[in-house]
This record gives sequence, C-alpha cells and structure tokens, in this order.
Amino acid sequence: MISLRRLTLALAVVGLAGCQLPPQDSTQVGFRGVMIGQTSSPETMAALQAANVAPAALPPAATDASRADSIYQNVQVLGHLSNAEFLRTMTAITNWVAPTTGPEAGCNYCHNAQNLASDEKYQKVVSRQMLRMTQEINGEWTGHVAQTGVTCYTCHRGGPVPPGTWYYTDVNQPLRHYLDRDDIRVQSQMPLRTEVSNRSSVNQAEYAYALMINMSSGLGVNCTFCHNSRAFTNWDQSPPQRLTALRGLRMVRSLNMNHMVALQDVWPAARHAADHLTDEGTLEPWHVNAEVSRGPMGDGAKLQCQTCHQGLNKPLYAAAMAQAYPGLYPYVPPPVSEATADTAAAIE
Amino acid sequence: MADYQNLWNQVQVRAAPDWGPPISEQSWTRSFPPKMSYWLGKVGDAQLGPIYLGWTGVASLIFGTLAFNIIGFNYLAQVNWNAIEFVRQLPWLSLDPPAPGRGMGIAPLAEGGWWQLAGFFLTISVLLWWVRLYRRARSFGMGTHLPWAFASAIWLFLVLGFFRPLLMGSWGEAVPFGIFSHLDWTAAFSIRYGNLFYNPFHMLSIAFLYGSALLFAMHGATILATAKYGAEREIEQITDRGTGAERSALFWRWTMGFNATMESIHRWAWWFAVLVTLTGGIGILLTGTVVDNWYLWGQRHGLVPEYPRAYPAVEPTSPAELEAPMQQAPPVTYPGLVGGAP
Repeated sequence: MISLRRLTLALAVVGLAGCQLPPQDSTQVGFRGVMIGQTSSPETMAALQAANVAPAALPPAATDASRADSIYQNVQVLGHLSNAEFLRTMTAITNWVAPTTGPEAGCNYCHNAQNLASDEKYQKVVSRQMLRMTQEINGEWTGHVAQTGVTCYTCHRGGPVPPGTWYYTDVNQPLRHYLDRDDIRVQSQMPLRTEVSNRSSVNQAEYAYALMINMSSGLGVNCTFCHNSRAFTNWDQSPPQRLTALRGLRMVRSLNMNHMVALQDVWPAARHAADHLTDEGTLEPWHVNAEVSRGPMGDGAKLQCQTCHQGLNKPLYAAAMAQAYPGLYPYVPPPVSEATADTAAAIE
Repeated sequence: MADYQNLWNQVQVRAAPDWGPPISEQSWTRSFPPKMSYWLGKVGDAQLGPIYLGWTGVASLIFGTLAFNIIGFNYLAQVNWNAIEFVRQLPWLSLDPPAPGRGMGIAPLAEGGWWQLAGFFLTISVLLWWVRLYRRARSFGMGTHLPWAFASAIWLFLVLGFFRPLLMGSWGEAVPFGIFSHLDWTAAFSIRYGNLFYNPFHMLSIAFLYGSALLFAMHGATILATAKYGAEREIEQITDRGTGAERSALFWRWTMGFNATMESIHRWAWWFAVLVTLTGGIGILLTGTVVDNWYLWGQRHGLVPEYPRAYPAVEPTSPAELEAPMQQAPPVTYPGLVGGAP
C-alpha cells in the first residue's frame, strides 16, 4: 500500500509540475460573474519586485552654455547637450549597459580609449543607433510609453546584450509574422460569410494566438487584461489597455524595421547565438551577458514586448527614469528669433 | 451484501472457454484461442479471445497501422530521429495539414503530403472498421445500433478532416495530428470564428456530452444499487418487472417525479451519445462556410447578454487607429528580414 501511495504522490507531483502552488491573489476588473480579472502569485510578485528595481538617477549636471559637439568630434546624436550633461549621460549609459570593470568594459566597451571619437568599435555604432531609437520612442511613441519613457536600462538591465530579445528560428514564425509585418485581424466583422468576408485561416488565428501568449507572458498578465474574451475583437468591450498594447505592437514593429534591422550588418557575424537559443527563439537567460549578437539564421537581435516589460505590465513599475536625462528625448532646437536670424544672415 | 459496493467485479465465471456459436462464414476463422485472465476478470469478462477479424478487420488494422506509423515517423523525423527527444517532446509534436495557401491540391510529402496520406489511410481504416462492426452485428442477428452510433462519431471525424475543408476549399482548414496541436487548433478555430460557445450546435453537443455522462452515472449507479434484487437482468425486466426494476423506478419517481424504464433508459443513453457528435458535426460544418462569426451571429439572434461597463472605454485618437486590413492566408515561407527588408 505504501508503494501505491508513493506512486500516487509521484503522479500527483508530475501532474502538477506545471502549476503554481497556492496562494494566488485575484483581482476583479470586469462586471461580476464574467471572469474578467487578473490572478497573481505573491511568490512571483516578490521575485518580480526584486528583479525590477530602477537605479537612482545621477545627480543633475551643472548648467553651462557649452555644446558637446563644439567640444568633441563625431558627436552625431547628443551634440546639443551641454558638456556636463553629455558626460553625465555617457556615465549613465555606461552604468546601464557595460558597468563591469576590465579592459573591455566601462567606456572602453564602446570607445577606443586612444581616440574616443573613432567609430572603429561596432559597439559604438550600435549605441548611436540605440540612442536614436530611444529618442524616437520617448518622443513619438508616447501613446505607448506615455510620459514615463524608456532608458537604456529598461531593456539592458546592466548588461550589453538585453535579456528577452529574439531571433528568427523555425519555431517562432508567429513572432516573425507579426513583429515585423502585419497587424492581427483574423476575425470576421460580419456574422455570416459573404463575398467580402475576412478569409484568414485557422492557421492564421493560431499564429495570432501564439503572439498573444508571447505578449501575455512578457507582461505577466492574462488575456482579460486587454480583452473581454467572449469577443476578442470587439473594441467596445475591451479594457483601455488593449489600445496601449496595439500601439506597443506597432511600435515594436516599427523599431524592428527601422532600427534593429539597420544594425543587422553591424553586428559581427562570428558572434553567433545559435547555441544559446531556447525553443522560442529567445536567448537562454544565462547567456544574456555573453557576447552574442546574431541569430542562427544570421539575423540580428529583435525586440518583442518582453524585451522592455520583463514580466511587468509597466516596465520597472513605471519608474520615471528617462525624464532625468534630456539626451534621451528628441532634440527640439529653441525657436530662432528674427533678430538672431538677421545677425546670422549678416555674418554670412 | 457488500458484493456490489465495490470498485471491481466481485464475481468471475470460470468454465471452459466459450468459442461462441458456429459461424457460417467459412472464408475466415477465429484467431487467438481463448484464455482466462484473473485481472481482466476484475474489470470485464475474464475470457480473452477468440477474435474474429475478417478481411475488413485485417485491412482496417493494416491501414490504421500505416497511418499511425506515418504520424510516428514524421514525429521522429522532426526530432532528428532522437528517441529521447521523441519521448520528451511527444505532446508538442505535430503532423500538420498543408498550408492554407495550397487549397485542395495534393501537397509535397514534407509540406502536408504526409498528413494527407495519414488522413487517407486513417479514414479507410475507420470506414473498414465500421463495415466490420455492421457485418458482425448482422451475422449475430443483432440490431445495428452499434455501427450507427459509431457512424455518428465518424461523421464528426469526416466533417473535421474532409467535408469542411472541402467546402472551404483548403486542406489547411483541417485538424493536425498531434496531442497539443489539435487542442491548439480547437482554441484557434473557436477564436477565428468569433467564439464557438455562441454556436447553438456546439451548445447542443456539449449538453448531450454532459448529459451522456450524467445518464451513464445515474443508470450505472441505479443498476448497481438494485442489483441485489436482480436489476442487472435489465432486459428481461423490461417486460417482466422484478423487484429490482420496481425499486429503481420507485426511487427515481419519488426523487424527481419521473422515471425511465428499463427499456427507455437505454434509448436515452444511445440518443444522447449519438447526438453529441451528430450535432457537433453540424456545428463545425456551418462554421466558416455559412457563419463567419458566431459571437456576432449570437448578438443578432439575442443570445448575447449585455453587461454594465466596469472599466473605462478605449479612446483612440481617431477611429482609423483601431482599423487594420484583414489578414490573408500567410505565405508558405517567410523570407524575413535577413538580407534586407521585403
């Protein structure tokens, strides 16, 4: 009998291995009885809280009237910053992306110590593109990032290769399909089939489903965070988060197309991620700081929801890190007064 | 009198194995000489064998084995012929139908052709098994209730794998062979067609399914509970009611005011079981061919309750923000961004 009991226990353990032990907290969001709410485990919450602490901002820079591009050479993105703010931003980026000490870390991770202006290190070229991307996110995608904005740390978390990027593989076709191509529209908007009905296939719906699960796990939320699951497509019944998420999807697609793909040939091909990919095509967590920059099909790293969110529906619990660094926002030149313009014309 | 209050059979009849009546068909013999098994006797009849396969049985097994092996070897190929990975990944392995873009044509083996072949062999196997059931029932002078009940299940099988794909014009609409993949297909199918819960035939199918389980439990429990009064002699007691039949009838009449009879309970059970797949198949066949969004269909016909809003509404900057073109069938391959944007 003891062996039978042990067998039963063993079977129960195997059967429940995918489940999380109680307690679970649940929050009701929708009308009573319609099961629109969120569940969470205090254990998971505690782990997330420990893993998502935003570093404090560096002390504000002294105000001076200098411009970085008049002091240093080859400053293409942050030239409008004052010298003090420029150096402060460089320090912050170092802390966020390559803080470890050693000959190849700190400033030297991107710069040739003998000639800081040189673009000979590919890391510097990548950083410049990433700064442009950060400025674009904070300036143009406020529909998704609101006033919180993003910094390098939002994704990088203290390492040069951010955890949670992805590469093309045979098994992550849904990511490939949606995160660099189409919006998801698989349900018909008419009850009966007509000549003009949506002709998306079940296969297509399955791809959409896979992407939704990818978003869900990246944000640590369930379907009803954004949808009334009785009618996924119906905007009138959806929580407002769904629109934020749609903007996020379009943002990720745009960033992948315009910024990440631009770097595909900058990353050295030798640094191959093929041996470090999970089945989903994301990097194994223990390789996130390894020097890995190309996927098994030779493509560069790409973004998904998880890259910033890392298990939270608001990355880093919506810590407003970006606002302390003007260099992370697009530069808006001060309005040129007519008098100044006249003087400039006179000088010319 | 605890004989029937037990998980297992308490009675095992032991005698010389019974070969059954002489058979007139001389073309085939009965194989596997009968043996007695104590442990089988715990859950069923202790006698194992003989079996009458007949040519339909043999052919059905051959085609079934072919389909099973095509599926299995495709799984093995997917894990690079690694037996350990085969076991580890078995629940996720899947043999998929051709991609939606291919229509109803014959696909290359690696792109759905194996699925077509496996489905073809499986269908032949299942149909031959039906013929076998029918012929055995006839040869025993029985009614044909069993083959017709099986035909109801075959109806759903053919709707899912053949009739509906045919009407939709694409093998890609059919169900993959795989443990999780067929479940994923079910979820995706429901989502694609606007929530199958609003499909009235799905509702009927579910009601008959749960009803079957309820009837089975009620009937099994009633007979076991009155077996000590001879109620297990159910069929005799249709016309010759003994105290077992009287007591079980009395129990339900006093409990819920109405009771089945020894005859009608079996008709109830047969119809409930048969209607699960009969109605289910109708519901699947209408989906995508006639009805494209069951939620909207339900809304039109008053099936959908309205609930008060419990959270703020979505506020797009313009209505156009929420719009996107409908997706067409996905391409067969994905060139992706390697080597430049498409």
